[in-house]
Amino acid sequence: MLRTRSRRGGFFARTLPFWLLFVPMLFIVCVQLYPGFYTFGLSLNSMVAGARKFVGLQNYSRFFGSSAFHESLVHTAVFLAGYVSLTLLASLAVVLVLNRKMKFSPLYITLIFIPWVLSDVIVGYVWKLFVDPGAGLLTPLFSLPIFGLNGQPLLIASPPAQLSPNVPFPPAPAMLYLIAAASWKALPFTSLLLLAALQTVPKELVESARIDGASSWSTFRLITLPLILPMILVALFNLTLSGMNGVGMVFSLTGGGPGTATMVLSYLLYSIGFTQIDFGQAAALSVFIFGINLILIVVSLRISRSRAELI
Amino acid sequence: MMATYRAFAARKPAARIAANIAAIGVCFIMIFPVFSTLVLSFKQQADVIRTPPQLFPCDTPSEPFNIAACRFFIEGYQRIIDLQPNPQALLGTEVRGRIINTYLPNTIFYSVTGALMVTVLAGSAGYAFSRYEFRGKRVLLIGILAITGIPLLTNLLALYQIVVDLRKATGPLFDQLVANGALTRDTARLLRDWQDRITLVCIYAGFFLPLSIWIVKGFFDTIPHELEEAAFIDGASPAQALTRVIVPLAMPSLLAAFLLTFVGIWNEFIANYLIVGTSRQNLRSVIVGVYDLTGSNLINYQVLAAACVLVMLPVIVVFLAARHTFFQAMLEGAVKG
Repeated sequence: MLRTRSRRGGFFARTLPFWLLFVPMLFIVCVQLYPGFYTFGLSLNSMVAGARKFVGLQNYSRFFGSSAFHESLVHTAVFLAGYVSLTLLASLAVVLVLNRKMKFSPLYITLIFIPWVLSDVIVGYVWKLFVDPGAGLLTPLFSLPIFGLNGQPLLIASPPAQLSPNVPFPPAPAMLYLIAAASWKALPFTSLLLLAALQTVPKELVESARIDGASSWSTFRLITLPLILPMILVALFNLTLSGMNGVGMVFSLTGGGPGTATMVLSYLLYSIGFTQIDFGQAAALSVFIFGINLILIVVSLRISRSRAELI
Repeated sequence: MMATYRAFAARKPAARIAANIAAIGVCFIMIFPVFSTLVLSFKQQADVIRTPPQLFPCDTPSEPFNIAACRFFIEGYQRIIDLQPNPQALLGTEVRGRIINTYLPNTIFYSVTGALMVTVLAGSAGYAFSRYEFRGKRVLLIGILAITGIPLLTNLLALYQIVVDLRKATGPLFDQLVANGALTRDTARLLRDWQDRITLVCIYAGFFLPLSIWIVKGFFDTIPHELEEAAFIDGASPAQALTRVIVPLAMPSLLAAFLLTFVGIWNEFIANYLIVGTSRQNLRSVIVGVYDLTGSNLINYQVLAAACVLVMLPVIVVFLAARHTFFQAMLEGAVKG
């Protein structure tokens, strides 16, 4: 109907969608697309004496061959594995509790979601204050022998002996603490996704299974889990993306340290680009991270059927 | 069958209590870090550096906790605000704390302006996507959806370089105008600052736009076309239809776009830090200001905690006031978009 209306109107009315979309698209092109190509251009150049010089793929070969990159890959993999699995498992546990009809459910949900609106950097400070060697409330707990810190402050304790000389594994205590803090921050959003999915599971289905004598574990495994699996995958991709690109908490909590023990790729990008001022190599790393982001997004778009239906 | 059901139902009270206890436990874990920071921000130095650390500064030599003996101070906030007497200023005192007199107003400016821009642009684009059919719509929508997931990080180097290039492009112009006497040196500095401010807000707007377009478009899809057509049939001009019918109907989604962007920009750190954090210190956002506090090792923890509380409190209040909007918008953005 609107279409016939606009077809009868003048030039402006006929091209109204174009004008409505022009400025928003301009913003997206300027902030998202153009810088993307610009970064690719930067990655093919090197700054020599203040002037840009075309060096082809040299930045890539130098960077991907560097030990800093290899080490950071392992840190990122450890961080992502811990962050994604811890957040998913904890969120699943939380929503299974919250899904029950309780008098104070709205209050619980509201309180649980507060960390979601907090800044990564501030969350990093809040958690850093917890383990401060002098004033941290959790310091007495973590100095118990069971944690094996031998009196060292948690954030600067050296990592355990490496399994192999070139692989920084097992991770430093600071990395585990970073994972815990990041998961705490990500838990509300992930829970919101899972809770929304859980509430679409028909109650009768679960209850009739229980009445027929299925245990709660098998009801969960055979009925609930398959139904919320698509949303778990959406959450998994969301978490991997945010974990891959989040850098604020590393800034305030560990600063990449102790040594380079929490130097994940996103922080390495900052470190190479803005402390070593090597834009060429940092751009090569940007392109690498962008490629991973792109793969994650394409796969998640394919998986998420609700998105495809909407278009 | 019935007996089994009764048995199942009878198990419920115990299960309900257990679920409530578990839920309270989760709430405690999620709230405690924020709460303990709030308490820390009101401690005095002597209580901050005590070992072993105490959550509440309420112990006496004889008792571990006595509510009458609590020692709360606003020293941390005083250091952040840093009131100094100044006969020239209003009320005879001036706020010397950079966080309060510069960084916090900056953050408010970035958040409000950016969120307003995003709301208007997302409303415009969302309306076009929802109401019109045109060639390339599907491709554009999928493109925007894909961009929604891409964080700012990988574009930062280029954005930094673009801002530097922009400064280089306009710098000589300003210099020339100052040399001609068309601008005073102070006005030129102000214009340079505003150029960076506006660039930064535009970067934020472009970054938060895709998600908001999806939220607003999804909402427009649920509003029947007939409502606007009725307005047209009743003789409304397009402008009247827009202001009297379309905008009021779309208000919940526009509010959602505004709030999500507001909180997003409020919490943004890395772009502000890299683009203006070192080169234009008076344009820093409050979070960059807090990050800078810790650069000097002399920082006291109650001061850092007070700064953290000042940053966290506004967004927590906004969230609590509009939590339903947040939940719906975020689900819309994450699940469908």
